[in-house]
Amino acid sequence: MRPFAFVVFDGTRLSLDPHAPGRRLRIDSRCVDGDPVTGAFAHVCALPDRSAALRYDEPEVQQARRDALAWWIPMLGDALVCLTTFALDASRCAGAITVARDPTRFAADPFARLFPGTIVRSDVFCAVPPPAGPPIERYGGAPWPGGRFQ
Amino acid sequence: MNVDERFPDLDLPDHTGRPRRLSELAGGDPLALFTSRGWWCPKEQRYMRGLCKLQDEFEVAYARIVVVSVDPPEVQSAFRAGLGARFTFLSDAERRWLPRLELLETTDTVHHPYLPAAFTLCPDLRVHRSYNGYWYFGRPTHDELRRDMREITKTIRDDWEAPAA
Repeated sequence: MRPFAFVVFDGTRLSLDPHAPGRRLRIDSRCVDGDPVTGAFAHVCALPDRSAALRYDEPEVQQARRDALAWWIPMLGDALVCLTTFALDASRCAGAITVARDPTRFAADPFARLFPGTIVRSDVFCAVPPPAGPPIERYGGAPWPGGRFQ
Repeated sequence: MNVDERFPDLDLPDHTGRPRRLSELAGGDPLALFTSRGWWCPKEQRYMRGLCKLQDEFEVAYARIVVVSVDPPEVQSAFRAGLGARFTFLSDAERRWLPRLELLETTDTVHHPYLPAAFTLCPDLRVHRSYNGYWYFGRPTHDELRRDMREITKTIRDDWEAPAA
């Protein structure tokens, strides 16, 4: 399996078309490798500005991942479809996306502490089992929580 | 379970109620698996609080922690939140795996829980070492878990010896 796929975000819309206008972001490929969930909502905590990035090793990015494991994923419960951080390269994070069947909990998204959230209707993301925890480190540069060592 | 024997690939709901498999939770990493009496046992509460300290090392060391008990998912979820745990609990509330694993604590005729035990597993679920935790001090210490994770990691990571320049 590919370690990552791409989405393009222009500030209001998400696309899997690599030629769409906007910022190209790496995601956990499992999020788009199965049967898509229709009528879902994506909480995109990212900015189209190319300079909007933090290193994965920054404490605030680490803590957002811990919070996702500790309470964000349990809080979403059955509504969760998938979750992935956005990677730019081997070390930088451009935010994250949480996809859910119900957007009412998005105000609590821990990744919105990194970059502001935008809610986008989406029919392209697949249901992915949430990460088991407790690892927050990445596997070979894949966007957390994707990837694994072979 | 004996050393090198393959631990069954448990299929149980996690603390959110989602169906999970043990092999999926291992995800290619070493795994520390604990069977636990349940939230109500003071010994379990103490041991789990300790595990929550150790999870700060597991989170950066590419290793997993899983706890199995007979508590229902909603109880596990509350217990997990109270502990501040970031690892997965599996619920065998229906006691599907308990008899197959032969881990019923027969001296507790009220809760019919799991015997406290611990297994350090390779990513393919082969047992590296097992611990009988019926008595509290039979459980693995943090240093024993670190040792087991080191031994497994050394075996499974081809680049354990850092590549030469």
